[in-house]
Amino acid sequence: MGLLTNILLAPFLGPVWGTKWTLDKVDRVVREELTDDTPIKEDLMALQLKLEMGEIDDNEYVRREAEIMQRLREVREWRERFGMATSGGPVRVAERGESE
Amino acid sequence: MTPAESATAAVEPSPVEGKYVYCIIRNDRSKEFGEIGIGSGSRVYTISYNDLAAVVSDTPIVIYDPTRENVLAHEFVNETVMREFTLIPMSFGTVFRSENDVLALLKSTYQAFTDVLDKMQDKIEFGLKILWDRDKVVAAIERDNDEIRRLKDEITRNAASSTYFARMQLGRLVEAAMEEASNRYVTDIHEQLKDVSVASRSNKVIGDRMILNAAFLVDRKDEKSFDEKVKAISLQYEDLLTFKYTGPWPPYNFVNIKLKLEKAT
Repeated sequence: MGLLTNILLAPFLGPVWGTKWTLDKVDRVVREELTDDTPIKEDLMALQLKLEMGEIDDNEYVRREAEIMQRLREVREWRERFGMATSGGPVRVAERGESE
Repeated sequence: MTPAESATAAVEPSPVEGKYVYCIIRNDRSKEFGEIGIGSGSRVYTISYNDLAAVVSDTPIVIYDPTRENVLAHEFVNETVMREFTLIPMSFGTVFRSENDVLALLKSTYQAFTDVLDKMQDKIEFGLKILWDRDKVVAAIERDNDEIRRLKDEITRNAASSTYFARMQLGRLVEAAMEEASNRYVTDIHEQLKDVSVASRSNKVIGDRMILNAAFLVDRKDEKSFDEKVKAISLQYEDLLTFKYTGPWPPYNFVNIKLKLEKAT
């Protein structure tokens, strides 16, 4: 058992650790991407500007706005899933806020 | 949808009514602003605490998407309120569960709201986005910059023999001259508006044609001078730049109160 186990397991230890570390890192990057609404808001502002400049018409605007709203909702869902703050929805003054 | 179905749907949303908050004003009496609320045009009114009031409308507890329709409804209420009051705008989509929760906000943030209302008294905001027409700016640069003009003439004359490097160098010179021109325009415009505004803030530009995306805080008494100045500047740069001038707005870009809010479940 002893020697064989070592031989069988040894080569795996390195890569397994390596993989785990990479997964953690990937996970973090993915999570940041899933929960960041900044690029979506920028797209929305760019879209509004296009409408204001007469580069797109109302129908085009409404169609693309719907896509952007869908992306925003997805980000909101991910943020909720990761327990992060979301904008929108009911709020109240935080109980553990600053003392007066 | 058949009438029967829509009737069912109308009954179904939770009976809990929330309050959508548009802005905070100083007013110690209750006040009505008409049926202009977000969503379904519900009544806009105030919830008062001492001399402060939150401008609200009743709403189901929902998350409002920042669609143009919703954002315009939010802004329209603030514009209406602004005709009579100095206001602190709330972020789009802020919903409280009850009147008591709104009162708690006014109470806990009373001092900060009061300070900011004092500071913003009779101040309004204008937005100024400036876009350039690349071709026209390049043409102006070629006209005014001797070095670039000479290099370009040379490349045109010897089209066949002119080197890749000469073209590269021209491109680089034009790029640098454009950046310099952009900075010069923006500095000049800020300089010209300095005397007629209280403060300014530059936001990130949108797209690749925009060279300025700024908000200006203006005293109401200077509104006309600011207006005239912007018109004069846009005439001055008529051939090169496009001006998108909006307002008056509530001081969206000049109020920064970090509210300590949490999700109400």
